[in-house]
Amino acid sequence: MMTDYVLETRHLSKLFGRKRALDDFTLQVQKGGVHALIGSNGAGKSTLFRILLGFLTPNAGSAALLGEDSSALTPATRGRVGYVNEEHTLPGWIRAADLKKMQQEFYPQWQEDVYRNVIANFDVDHDQMVSSLSRGERAGFNLAMTLAQNPELLILDEPTLGLDVVAKQEFLDALLFCSNLDTTVIYCSHQMEEVERLADQLIIIENGRLKNQSTPEDFLNRVSLWIVDAIHKQRVRDKIPSLLSCREIEGEFHFYVLDAENSFSRQLGLLGINDPVSAPVGLDVAVRAYLSKNHLGADMTSRGEAA
Amino acid sequence: MTNSKTTALKLSIKTGDPRPIFKQVVDGIGMAIAVGELAEGDKLPSVRALAMRLSINPNTVAKAYNELTSMGLVDSRQGLGLFVSVPKQLLSNNERKKRLQQAIERCLGDVMHLNYSDEEILKAFREELEGLRKVPKVG
Repeated sequence: MMTDYVLETRHLSKLFGRKRALDDFTLQVQKGGVHALIGSNGAGKSTLFRILLGFLTPNAGSAALLGEDSSALTPATRGRVGYVNEEHTLPGWIRAADLKKMQQEFYPQWQEDVYRNVIANFDVDHDQMVSSLSRGERAGFNLAMTLAQNPELLILDEPTLGLDVVAKQEFLDALLFCSNLDTTVIYCSHQMEEVERLADQLIIIENGRLKNQSTPEDFLNRVSLWIVDAIHKQRVRDKIPSLLSCREIEGEFHFYVLDAENSFSRQLGLLGINDPVSAPVGLDVAVRAYLSKNHLGADMTSRGEAA
Repeated sequence: MTNSKTTALKLSIKTGDPRPIFKQVVDGIGMAIAVGELAEGDKLPSVRALAMRLSINPNTVAKAYNELTSMGLVDSRQGLGLFVSVPKQLLSNNERKKRLQQAIERCLGDVMHLNYSDEEILKAFREELEGLRKVPKVG
């Protein structure tokens, strides 16, 4: 019934005390490609993964992984999902070789050639205890074991966090060239450069809600930068409903707008704001501008409560 | 047939650019063809090989290759890959003229306030153009 989507949530809500970590969150992710999931810290990404993997029960709504309800995932379905988190959590008290052997026996679809190709990028001594591997080695070892499982769905939650430049590049190379092209990848990251290089689809979560799901290009087309004389700043702030973020720089007022129509500069003219200049923006800037609005909103709420 | 020239393709990707990465690949290869760095019949790198070199998603390369194919710049040969196709006049003369005009306007917009003399601007332009035309044809 829900097999068209590798993951699906419907009206998902999760409360932690009074905090709404997910708020009527509905998302469908089609099979195939790399779907980057981005949002500020605390936006609800980790809660979403924990619910999807069945580690957490939602207050309302439903979630499904590979067509199976998350609250009742069978071991067989779990075996088709690979999950790599930022900590690269692995048991430390065991030799790397033994851990690998256990995994290999556990997954019937284990692909030894994939394991070898990935691990070749990293300098892992299999006689070492897992706890004595460096962070980069542990990340590589974890990725090699996860890709060798040949998962249909691969969830990567900030996998390169804390890795140095070299280890990060090795990790991405291994991911790009050893993963099966049919694998659907959910890539969660704050590193916009990685997101831009990897993503087919851009999913933005903010305050527990789904804010965007499109190709990066389509998202980029939604955000534009406008520059006007700083004397107009109050008018822009008061009159432009789709304003994302703004700042004043040496007599110029720079502001980002969402979904500006073709007639936007004429609309500005009607408001008495003349000679606007517009400039294209890159993905990192567009995302930053987009998320800062939501930050601003959150800050204002908390200030309001404090007052 | 393997073609060593494909590996010499000069192409780089900038993140944070207003152009999406697939467009940068399309523009980069289009440019390489325009200046003769890639000649008719040359083979493009495989999707995976180019993706690996640029550290980008193979799907993005595939999308760029589709675009280049529909623009008529490359042809796919079943099972062999993509090859630079026979140059075709794809745009009408009016369209070509319009695009040239627009590109010159954009360029001059950036340059006019830099206080170079007309001669200096023309000289720099000519040198750049000669550099592009002079890319050696290998093989």
